[in-house]
Amino acid sequence: MKLGLNAMETAGALMVLSLAMVALFAPELAPHDPVRAVAATFGDPGAPSRAFPLGTDQLGRDVLSRIIYGARISLTVGVAAMAVTMTIGVTIGLAAGFFGGAVDSILMRFTDVMLTLPALLLAMAFVAVLQPGLWSILIVIGLVSWTQIARVVRAEALSLTQRDFVVAARALGAPPARLIARHVMPNAMPLIVVMAVLGTSGTLLLDAGLSFLGLGVPPPTPSWGRMIEEATTYFRTAPWLAIYPGLAIFYAVLGFNLLGYGFIRRRGHSADFQ
Amino acid sequence: MTRRVSHRLRAITLALAAVTLVVFPGCRAAAPPLNFPPGAMVLHLATLDDVPTLDPAAGYDVDSWMFEQMLFDTLVRYSDAGVDLVPDAATSWQAAPDARSFTFHLRRDVTFTNGRAVTSADFKYAIERVLNPATRSKGMEYYRAIVGAEDFAAGRAQSVIGIATPDPWTISFRLTAPDPIFMQKLAMPFAAAVPREAVARWGDDFARHPIGSGPFILREWLGGQRIVMVKNPAYFVKGLPHLDAVVELIGVNDDLQWFKFEAGEIDVSTIPPAVFPYVMKTPRLKALLLRIVTVTTRYLGINCQMPPFNDLRVRRAFNYAVNKPKLVAVLNGRGIVANGILPPGLPGYDPALAGYPYDPAQARRLLAAAGLAGGMSATLWMPADQTMMILGQSIQQDLELVGVHLRLKPVAFAPLLEALRQPRTVPLFFSGWEADFPDPENFLAVLLSRAQWGANNDSYFDDPAFDALLAQAAPLSDLARRYALYRAAQRVAVAQAPWVFLYYPITYEIRQPWVRGYVLNPMRPERLETVQLTAHPGS
Amino acid sequence: MLAYIIRRIAFGAFVLVGTSLITFCIAFVIPADPAVAVAGAKADPRTLAAIHHELGLDQPLYIQYARYADRALHGDLGRSYIRRENVTSVILSRFPATAILALSALALSLLLGIPMGMLAAAWRGRAPDHLLLVVSLALVSTPVFWLGTILLIVGGLYLRWFPLGGFSGPSSLVLPTITLALGSAGYYSRILHTSLAAAMDQDYVRTARGKGLSTSAAMRRHALANAMLPLVTIAGLDLGGLLSGVVLTETVFNWPGIGRLAFEAIFNLDIPLIMGTVLFSAALVVAGNLAADLLLAWLDPRIRLGRET
Repeated sequence: MKLGLNAMETAGALMVLSLAMVALFAPELAPHDPVRAVAATFGDPGAPSRAFPLGTDQLGRDVLSRIIYGARISLTVGVAAMAVTMTIGVTIGLAAGFFGGAVDSILMRFTDVMLTLPALLLAMAFVAVLQPGLWSILIVIGLVSWTQIARVVRAEALSLTQRDFVVAARALGAPPARLIARHVMPNAMPLIVVMAVLGTSGTLLLDAGLSFLGLGVPPPTPSWGRMIEEATTYFRTAPWLAIYPGLAIFYAVLGFNLLGYGFIRRRGHSADFQ
Repeated sequence: MTRRVSHRLRAITLALAAVTLVVFPGCRAAAPPLNFPPGAMVLHLATLDDVPTLDPAAGYDVDSWMFEQMLFDTLVRYSDAGVDLVPDAATSWQAAPDARSFTFHLRRDVTFTNGRAVTSADFKYAIERVLNPATRSKGMEYYRAIVGAEDFAAGRAQSVIGIATPDPWTISFRLTAPDPIFMQKLAMPFAAAVPREAVARWGDDFARHPIGSGPFILREWLGGQRIVMVKNPAYFVKGLPHLDAVVELIGVNDDLQWFKFEAGEIDVSTIPPAVFPYVMKTPRLKALLLRIVTVTTRYLGINCQMPPFNDLRVRRAFNYAVNKPKLVAVLNGRGIVANGILPPGLPGYDPALAGYPYDPAQARRLLAAAGLAGGMSATLWMPADQTMMILGQSIQQDLELVGVHLRLKPVAFAPLLEALRQPRTVPLFFSGWEADFPDPENFLAVLLSRAQWGANNDSYFDDPAFDALLAQAAPLSDLARRYALYRAAQRVAVAQAPWVFLYYPITYEIRQPWVRGYVLNPMRPERLETVQLTAHPGS
Repeated sequence: MLAYIIRRIAFGAFVLVGTSLITFCIAFVIPADPAVAVAGAKADPRTLAAIHHELGLDQPLYIQYARYADRALHGDLGRSYIRRENVTSVILSRFPATAILALSALALSLLLGIPMGMLAAAWRGRAPDHLLLVVSLALVSTPVFWLGTILLIVGGLYLRWFPLGGFSGPSSLVLPTITLALGSAGYYSRILHTSLAAAMDQDYVRTARGKGLSTSAAMRRHALANAMLPLVTIAGLDLGGLLSGVVLTETVFNWPGIGRLAFEAIFNLDIPLIMGTVLFSAALVVAGNLAADLLLAWLDPRIRLGRET
């Protein structure tokens, strides 16, 4: 049993690690410049060949190189957006769980309202307003996806606040900031880390979805979602343009999911994450 | 307890199954069959987006106009294949030599589909409705030059005194300034006759219940699914329309359209980019192609007031640096490399204009001369449309080769317009202009004159010599002199390079062999009353 | 029971007021003059000013909101700037297409997800369990727009079994339903697996098994009913979410539902239509949530007696 679970976690870790490597060493790994025209296939995408294993697109760019460089932007957006999400979610969750009372009520009712709004629709509207760009997308993804994290962190903070060591520290007059920093945060940390890993799969998908709708990070930065969007016109004659970037997204999202769930199952508190 | 929960769960499962059973027949209920009588001549079309509106005061796009001109009549209209005006509801007209007053005589056999005769008062009402701010019409400004229009729009007058209707079959217009293209403004669907009583009844929902006098009548409009028009038996041109009905399926993208075309389900189709090369290589299909160079120019606007683009050398360098034949190739050849501002098909087009060939070496020299040998970066604002983004990336590639790092800034249409109207905000923008009227004034004066700063002159181009030529040409009704002056003005502007001139788009459509009389017009959507189907198989 | 229902409805109303405020805020930070959207690219400043006044945009914001809220309460979400139509009727005309898609996707995802969850729980901790977990994770990890595109290529283009998109009858429903359902199926199977595993550890199930009932019989007869409860909550929430969150699927398949409508509205920055679709979606989620709550209360008396989520 242990073996199976470890295998899952290990597989996830290896997938994420390999992706990070590809992103880091993109210039060394990519056979071509991802932005320049390296084949004269204008308007008529080139099929996979020995020179271009995954083909070329309608602007004569090498698809393989674009996917390799795409790892950079996708991972950056996925992880950075997760950081924004966690910052908002953890802050609100900790504040609500720790202070309780009116603070808790106000923050949680606000969370309920945000939970009701459809995330993708809201993100689309925000991006359209802010105009697509790296920063606007990070912020928007953070703004629409913190709710679940706030709820889980709040529950954890609530139970931690009632534990003996926190009650004792509080009785001794420790200021709230210190209580949170010294006692609540460190104990909630494992949970937060797992939430972050799982959440990254969500932000990756959201970013890909936005890119697919033409609301992602603008070109020339190659992004997997946008590659699929640009390929839709050619899906009958050049399906490779859509298939490979989709596999890349799938690989990345699955990697984070395997890592996160493997971890949860090993620790045995899966119920927290549904 | 468990037992009861279990029972209730079963009940839910059953309910869910029942819902599913209801859902499937529900699909059919969504678009009921049309049941035309056997032998009916029905033209089948398909499009992706729903028609925005059928109200002639509201529509200002190809899709709306296509159906509006089926439902409504204007005094004059464009001929089927050209840009010349022919009678519609008017039989004859007189234009004063100073181009300040126009009189039209109406046919007496035009009736609305509610049975009432169309009179001059209905044409007057249509224009007053457009001028009324409460209508929120996009056509307002085309009729502001009529005497009394401003007072009427501001609510200071009950009617527009410059429009006279001495009898039910005569209407005349007086203008505050000469306007040789006023007739063309009356050919826009904005000026089509609408029955006051129907507008009063339906208000803003008139678009859903349009009543006109045109060759067709709206039978059904299922939002997002289909729109069905049937023949108006009382149409004033005897024998027209030939078709009994037109069915346009909505929500059908290019690829799906092509499949339906190949299956014979639709009679006319656009051609998806990926299929286009195949069509061109297949003689059977190539013979069925319809091609028209629309009166449109696509360009990259340059803000002439913003450094470094206030330097003519930089603007010219950009023109040499962009590989326009490549853009046309990316478009599968559906365009003509632009040599200037005025597109072919527009009266006054200048085939002798040289324009700027693709010459990256020349571009680098000019940039170096402007002190930008070390490279520069710039931001291109553009609509977030799929095709435009691809073209934007192609331009990005070209400019990178001459040391210009171009950032693309995709922006929704409305904020883009908003930004363009702020001076010194948008250095470069991807744009296009489709002629409202077949006259060079519609391009040159609207887009590049000093008077249009903050309105449509988004390049903030300012050239007194150019403006002087425009002022000379504007009031002229003598077309030869008029066009000569506009050509001269175009040469001045092209030399100053306020835009990177990209391409003139070509529209291709394909028809079935049994479709007759389907003609593309460079200015307007196709007119369907003269279309015929011969030996239509199946339906 | 009645008090409980009233409490839930009041909460739903509160949430809707909150969402309407948020959507209103979005609409008013849009850096575009609605008058330009109404009058078009070629309008001159005088036309714009006239339209501005006509739309009431020269009023203070709180008055604009009060007007909006008042009209929304009467079912009037205003008129689209681009399409000129009543937003409520446009949304309602597009809603059946989305509802059909969402309901069939929900049915399919439960049909796949429940057996998967049961199988995994039956083999808890053994190879099939891990395999099913990986499968469900794979389903959750697949981008819907990509899955949809691939299904279109295979099922529509190569096999020609299904239409290439559009809403034209039962066969056109198949590919979008699969696209939308697979991800949720993976999700549901995991939820059911978790709650089943917990239920199997309960005393009454242990007792039943002690009496000689086989694992699978104990699961079906005793554990499943209770383990389904969390799934009802989630599915209720999801149905609301599905009804609004189908933007990507509807875009891929040119499905004439509210998802595509919202997408078009956002691209045109058609503010009343954006506000309308977002608010309508939120109302659906609230309704789905409420329906699940009521269903749960009916199924499980403990909830009625005061234990709130």
